[in-house]
Amino acid sequence: MIFRKFLLTTTSALVVAGAANAEEYLIGVMSAQSGYLAPYDGPAYAGFQFCVDQKNANGGLNGTHMVRTIVKDTRSDIAEGVKVVQEMLDDGAQFIVSSADADPTIAAAQITLADGIPTMTFAGTAPVLTQVGEHVFGSYPADNQQGAVLAAYARDQGFENVYLVKSPDSAYTLGGPEYFGEAFEALGGNIVGTSNYSLNQPDFSAIVTTIKAAEPTPDVIVTWAWEPDFPAFIKAVRGAGLDTQVMGGDVLDTPTVRGLGEVVGGVVHTSGGFPDEGSAYAQFIADFTEANGTAPDNNYYVNGCDIVNMIEQALAAAGSTEPAAVVAAMAEIENGQGIMSNFTFKGTDRMPLREVVVARITGDGQKEFVKRTMADPATLPQP
Amino acid sequence: MDLILQQSINAISLGGIYAMLALGLAIVFSIVGLINFAHGDIMTFGGYGIFLALVFGMPPAVALAIGIGAAVVMALALERTAFRAMRGADVVTLLITSFAVSEILKVVFQNTISARPVPISFPAEWSGTYQVGGATIGVVPTVSIIVAFASLAGLTWVLKRTATGMAMRAAAEDLEMLKLLGVRANRVVAVAFAISGLLAGIAAVIWTAQRGSVDPMMGFFPVLKAFIATVLGGLGSLSGAVLGGFVIGILEVLTQAFLPDTLSPYRDAIVLALVIAVLLWRPDGLLPGKTGNRS
Repeated sequence: MIFRKFLLTTTSALVVAGAANAEEYLIGVMSAQSGYLAPYDGPAYAGFQFCVDQKNANGGLNGTHMVRTIVKDTRSDIAEGVKVVQEMLDDGAQFIVSSADADPTIAAAQITLADGIPTMTFAGTAPVLTQVGEHVFGSYPADNQQGAVLAAYARDQGFENVYLVKSPDSAYTLGGPEYFGEAFEALGGNIVGTSNYSLNQPDFSAIVTTIKAAEPTPDVIVTWAWEPDFPAFIKAVRGAGLDTQVMGGDVLDTPTVRGLGEVVGGVVHTSGGFPDEGSAYAQFIADFTEANGTAPDNNYYVNGCDIVNMIEQALAAAGSTEPAAVVAAMAEIENGQGIMSNFTFKGTDRMPLREVVVARITGDGQKEFVKRTMADPATLPQP
Repeated sequence: MDLILQQSINAISLGGIYAMLALGLAIVFSIVGLINFAHGDIMTFGGYGIFLALVFGMPPAVALAIGIGAAVVMALALERTAFRAMRGADVVTLLITSFAVSEILKVVFQNTISARPVPISFPAEWSGTYQVGGATIGVVPTVSIIVAFASLAGLTWVLKRTATGMAMRAAAEDLEMLKLLGVRANRVVAVAFAISGLLAGIAAVIWTAQRGSVDPMMGFFPVLKAFIATVLGGLGSLSGAVLGGFVIGILEVLTQAFLPDTLSPYRDAIVLALVIAVLLWRPDGLLPGKTGNRS
């Protein structure tokens, strides 16, 4: 009994001493809590913080680096984002997690460039976002990967003619359909028309009328539109009597889109993962739900958690928290262990090569698995 | 020909919504000199009313009525709590007040309901279509056009044929004189806000039926267009607001439909340039009000 007490006391003291000696790693997090990025930043941050807390409960990253986060709201405003990134750097942030879109990430990365602070987007998928510098990383499968996989799937379905609906207002909404189109043409398909829309466009009826008049008739319509534009677009499409197959990017993997009812039944979209029974992803959902009382309802939660895994593996490989060492180590990760999927930065332009899932929305608001595959790096459309 | 017919219907449908919102702005402006930027948030509140009614299991038709009612109640509440105390203040003060109210409402929406859009799912048959010649016409745009014109006709009747309507027109001419004549000015102003809320509520119904979701910013962009429409039509002019709404809607649809791909990213800039050109030609708007003041 005395020995057991001694052992417990000694062990507790060692744990406490270990925690006290653990080096702190300071991560700055841009998280839009309102505006157009809130549907993506909010869940990504929730998953990120959940896994940070899990790691800290076990002694921190690799058991050696306790994580402290500085979280600041950007309100989906790029100028505000730049400001908060500067504030976080002034507070000593050693790693920046930026908002889930290319444009705010590019703006943030220009601030972190001077000190080479590693910067990773929550879920920005436009491959151009890493072109700011060697210190910038993606976390989600890039648009050119998603576009290539979706285009191959569309061709497998026998679709020959596609109509692209894109918006030049963001790299994501512009690039996604263009990558799809490039891959689709490379596979022998035709682009029969394109239309441009503005973010938050009030009405899509004119575009839909143009699509209806397109010659030849498109077999499939592809857009990377997000909320609230996609709901407006699909309502206009179906409201005009068009039953053409509609396909889109990972932003359609949200409860808002699935909640639109029959109008979105049959819509096919790409995604970063799928919680197969018995998978680590399914376990993540169970753990998160038990801890928070709410179930993750999209992939951005688990991707937020995977960012913590990416940082942990980069720190382990670097053996240091020096920004340059972490950046170099992250860029060399090959088949890193993730929960949503494994990830490879080595040999890429720092947008991780990850599996892409193709899913279909059912009329009763569910999501069904269609396929999971890795894009072939050799045939990826280039940004 | 079919293409032109369909695009014309699209244009009238969108223009009708802008016209209703513009009219809601114009009614309040003409009486108390307030450009109410919170008008878009009243519309958003109506949208959330529909959403919550559906969440609580109300039939869709009842949910629409609740949404319209919610917008009217919100308009009256804002008049009583925020704008009545500011009555008589200069245009800039009123403008800043309405901006502040608008921002407060957005924050309330995103913190109490959700910063994310919430889906509104109406029965599938409400999104049906029918054929006219070779054109396929949607039910929602058709209802939108009918409701917009019916609302405008109803409002015209109220303003011209009822005592309250005549009092409102008189208030638009001279509110102080109306008070001296013993008319209850507060009641007249409240009715103006209620009508403005009713128009915002109807716009919310059509908007949510077309767009399928509600978010805290839902009303911001259309009310911005409606504001441009009221300036184009002539601030203080009810008929000008209606005309301006239709002109903006038609310009937007035509530029969307017929501009070449290379120019389409400049669509909003082209529409605004056309508006500026019209205002250079007619500085007081297309149908200026008798007491209109452009700020």
